[in-house]
Amino acid sequence: MTDAFTFDMLINYLMIGAALMVLGMVGFLARRNLIVMFLSAEMMLQGTALTLVAFGRYHGNWTGQVFTIVILTVAACEASIALALILILFNRKSSLDVTLWQEIREPGQPLTVDDPSQAEVEQFEDGPETYPHLTPAGIEPEHPTWTVHRN
Amino acid sequence: MTEFFVHNAWIVPVLPLLGGLIAAVGGRRLKAYSYLPVAVGIGLAFLVSLVLLTGSGGHTQPTAIEWIDVAGLNVPFQFRVDGLTTMMLAMVTFVATLVTVFASGYMAGDPGYPRFFAIVGLFVASMTGLVLSSHFILTYVFWEGVGVCSYLLIGFWHSKPSAAAAAKKAFLVNRIGDFGFAIALFWLWSVCIGHDLSYDNVFSKANLAGLQHHDIVGISFLLFWAATAKSAQFPLYVWLPDAMEGPTPVSALIHAATMVTAGVYLIARSTPLIVLAPEVQASVAAVGCFTALLAALIALTQNDLKRVMAYSTVSQLGFMFMGLGAGVGNLAAFAVIGAMFHLFTHAFFKALLFLASGSVMHSMGGVIDMRRFGGLRKRMPITCITFALGSLALMGIPPFAGFWSKDEILSSLHLASFKSEALGGIYPTLYLVIYWTAIATAALTAFYTGRAFFMTFFGPERLPKPDDPEADPADAGHGHGDGPDPHFGHEVAPVMWVPLAILAFCAVVVGALFGLTGWFAHHLEHSPGLAEPEDFHHAFDWFTATVSTTGALLALGLSYLFYAQRGPIPARIAGQIRPLYLASLHKFYVDEIYNWIVVLPTKVLAGAAEFFDIVVVENLVRLAGWLPRVFGKSLLAPFQNGLIQYYAAVTALSVAGLLFVFLWLSVN
Amino acid sequence: MDIFEIVRAIAVIVLGASGTWLLLPHRHGRIKPARSTLVGVVLSGIALICLATLWKPPTTFLAGAFFYLFALSSLAGAVLTITSRNPVYSALWFAAVVLSTAGLFLLSGAQFLAAGTIIVYAGAIIVTFLFVIMLAQKEGRATYDRMARSPGRATATCFLLFWSLLYALIALKTPPGLKPDDATDSRLARGSNLLIAKGIAPNTPEASVVHRALSPTNRLPDIDPGTTALGRHVAGLGGTLYTDHLVTVELVGALLFAALIGAIAIATPKPPIRPVQSNPPPPAS
Repeated sequence: MTDAFTFDMLINYLMIGAALMVLGMVGFLARRNLIVMFLSAEMMLQGTALTLVAFGRYHGNWTGQVFTIVILTVAACEASIALALILILFNRKSSLDVTLWQEIREPGQPLTVDDPSQAEVEQFEDGPETYPHLTPAGIEPEHPTWTVHRN
Repeated sequence: MTEFFVHNAWIVPVLPLLGGLIAAVGGRRLKAYSYLPVAVGIGLAFLVSLVLLTGSGGHTQPTAIEWIDVAGLNVPFQFRVDGLTTMMLAMVTFVATLVTVFASGYMAGDPGYPRFFAIVGLFVASMTGLVLSSHFILTYVFWEGVGVCSYLLIGFWHSKPSAAAAAKKAFLVNRIGDFGFAIALFWLWSVCIGHDLSYDNVFSKANLAGLQHHDIVGISFLLFWAATAKSAQFPLYVWLPDAMEGPTPVSALIHAATMVTAGVYLIARSTPLIVLAPEVQASVAAVGCFTALLAALIALTQNDLKRVMAYSTVSQLGFMFMGLGAGVGNLAAFAVIGAMFHLFTHAFFKALLFLASGSVMHSMGGVIDMRRFGGLRKRMPITCITFALGSLALMGIPPFAGFWSKDEILSSLHLASFKSEALGGIYPTLYLVIYWTAIATAALTAFYTGRAFFMTFFGPERLPKPDDPEADPADAGHGHGDGPDPHFGHEVAPVMWVPLAILAFCAVVVGALFGLTGWFAHHLEHSPGLAEPEDFHHAFDWFTATVSTTGALLALGLSYLFYAQRGPIPARIAGQIRPLYLASLHKFYVDEIYNWIVVLPTKVLAGAAEFFDIVVVENLVRLAGWLPRVFGKSLLAPFQNGLIQYYAAVTALSVAGLLFVFLWLSVN
Repeated sequence: MDIFEIVRAIAVIVLGASGTWLLLPHRHGRIKPARSTLVGVVLSGIALICLATLWKPPTTFLAGAFFYLFALSSLAGAVLTITSRNPVYSALWFAAVVLSTAGLFLLSGAQFLAAGTIIVYAGAIIVTFLFVIMLAQKEGRATYDRMARSPGRATATCFLLFWSLLYALIALKTPPGLKPDDATDSRLARGSNLLIAKGIAPNTPEASVVHRALSPTNRLPDIDPGTTALGRHVAGLGGTLYTDHLVTVELVGALLFAALIGAIAIATPKPPIRPVQSNPPPPAS
């Protein structure tokens, strides 16, 4: 008996998956809104998932789908952390523009400015430095002391 | 009890080492008591050595621990107890104990007090290990350890440039000798049966019979080369006078009594080998004779009391080498025992003389130039008497210690000239020349020793002025320095003069006690090659004794005439033979000659190498460091512009490129 | 592959790239003329159709119709997601992409995944909506939504990647004269006849590795006749998840847990550990 899901069908799916991934990548590279970038990354994952499911169907086993479930979970984790980070970043600079976050560049490299009229966006004041803060378990280590002065 | 110590001879080196370690680790807490663990350790080692000395018969060599055991080379930590060893051990630990006690007073107040005693402990451990070891490689290890300690002690006051330079010089000159030793060991290893370098194997009859003559000559010569450096013989003696930059107890212990005798000990230990090479024996005697004469001539004009003693040490070591070289044929045992006996007595009286010079220097506030002081016999009676006894022993006046041992060396030289004539005419004239030169040198010895003694203790009383640039009042007035003017010229504390007195007693009696009774020769005869043959009988050589004693007494009288009253005669004689006087004063320009022949070419080579290093190598290294910087700065850094999308784009581009490469590869 | 296919493939790449580039926001945020947007739509449409012609239609009509529908709508949705100026529209178009992909999952026999994707991503989309509404809704549109980061270079890079993928896929298409599931097909052996295709003898180490990988619980029941699969659809997937991939399930659970803690730790407001000492403390008096 010939399987309906022929090798050519597999190639169809692979082409769609590749196209989805590539379009997602275009979005990731070209858009500046952090949320749209996040959506684009999810779209790349969709393309990959499609490829995996198609492979699993072609080979006649579940493995592709199991892998896709793993991808779904990873995507969920990514979504939770990415959105939390976006929230923090937005709190800092009141903007979702990814261009504002260039501090990790090599020392001495010029700041990338797309539009000279936008140059002042760099003058956002840095917020106070914070670290992830977990509910203390056991003996809490000594924190640096500080005093908050309010007028 | 005796049996226990004979089988655990490792205790002897371990005790001082332990003391030194305690002083090193606990120096901060022990402070002024740092000498205690070392003195106790060395003293206990001396007691153990005494037990060994009285109790050992024949020889045993218990193995302490296995050390190196690889194919073709087996070096255990094995300590050999025989006559030669026990004699050396007792001498070394005895002198070391007294010197340590002396130094506990002499070095008081020095900031490096614990360090000093730690190194002394290490030194005594190395030296006892050296004489105890039963294996050439083990000997070499301790030989190097002794060299390191000597370096550390000469450079003890390392902030003083001259001391640092002297330490460096001593170490480098000793390296030249060590090089010879190492080559000798390699050579010996390659020709010995079973590649076993233990003394038992090397000096066994089977092994010696299997060696080629050129091997024997070469190895003996290289061992002698090693000995010339350690025992300060021409041409490698130059480090010893400079080593006087170290503290005086160090000079007494290391550069008079113990370390410098290591070379003599090595040659004596190798007697069975060297006896087979008469050429080397003759050169040993000749070099010893030349060194003795040269050093004596230099000592005639030196004004620094310690330097006179240093040159006299070189000269006396020359005597020992003459004795070692005189062991032709069946004379070997007698000659070598004579040399070892001189080593033994010399250790006592030379340590005494150095310590006495040290106490003079101590009370003169660090001034050691004999022209700046004089007539000290009233102020320092004990030092004066002990110095006088040591001087008489050094001059070889009967019945002091030096007489008996020097006489044995001279008579063995006398016999050697007949013996080598009888053996087929090898170098009889040479030995005769050496014999007469040695007698002349003995007279010179008496003269310069007398000169030093009379200049220091006789004549009008003179003390260094308080504003003397070299004098350090704080150094002179321990306990007295509170007053407005420093007190020079007081007698030293008991902790310093008691060792002097003990050594003076030894300098008087050891010669007669051990030499005349034949105990010394009897004790050494269990060592390999040192058993006197049955057909050898020796009577006291009245001719030599008379000649040498007469010469010495004449020279002593002459020195009294010249220097006791500070007459004008010496200056007039010096003016008459000015070139010779200057040459002697400047040590025959040996250092200058070495400077031109050895040091300058080395410096030129080093300069060239430095130039090459700075210009070529350094720039190559800079280039290697410059390339990545340029590459990274101009090529790679722009990629790191902080934009996430830029990084992602680079990743995507790389993946695409990789895919194309794979496709292209699969198509082709 | 014939020359006609190559032309179509090149058209997909070139037209798709230029169409996407025209549709993307301007580099410096200038407003693009309506004409260029129209041209972009047309070019992208042509590219999509060219790509669709490269597909081999399924045998049954209904399956074929749905396949084309879902495929085209997902790709069109993708293009619109990345080109919309308004992130709200982006999110909506992304929902369309997810729905279409779910349809494609259904067509390829992954019923559970189709449902799961919709459920999970529906939640995700709603959350994203919330975010967009909370954060990004200012007066008018944000500047950065009207600007693209070097759209030309980004499109070129990504379509270069697409080109390499497409090239590889087209090169693998069934040559004329080869029937489906031909025993002499050397391109990619199915899991069920891997042993025969690779010439692996039974009772060899290689054969046992293949058997371990393709255990009975891991086989799709409808496709592979004669297997004793645990069940169909969700039951089958659950069976293989909790037998063959138990460790994976545990690991993924741990990962989720860690991400949960991480998200809470990151997002909760907290006092600064090193505050800016802008004003020094007043003197103690």
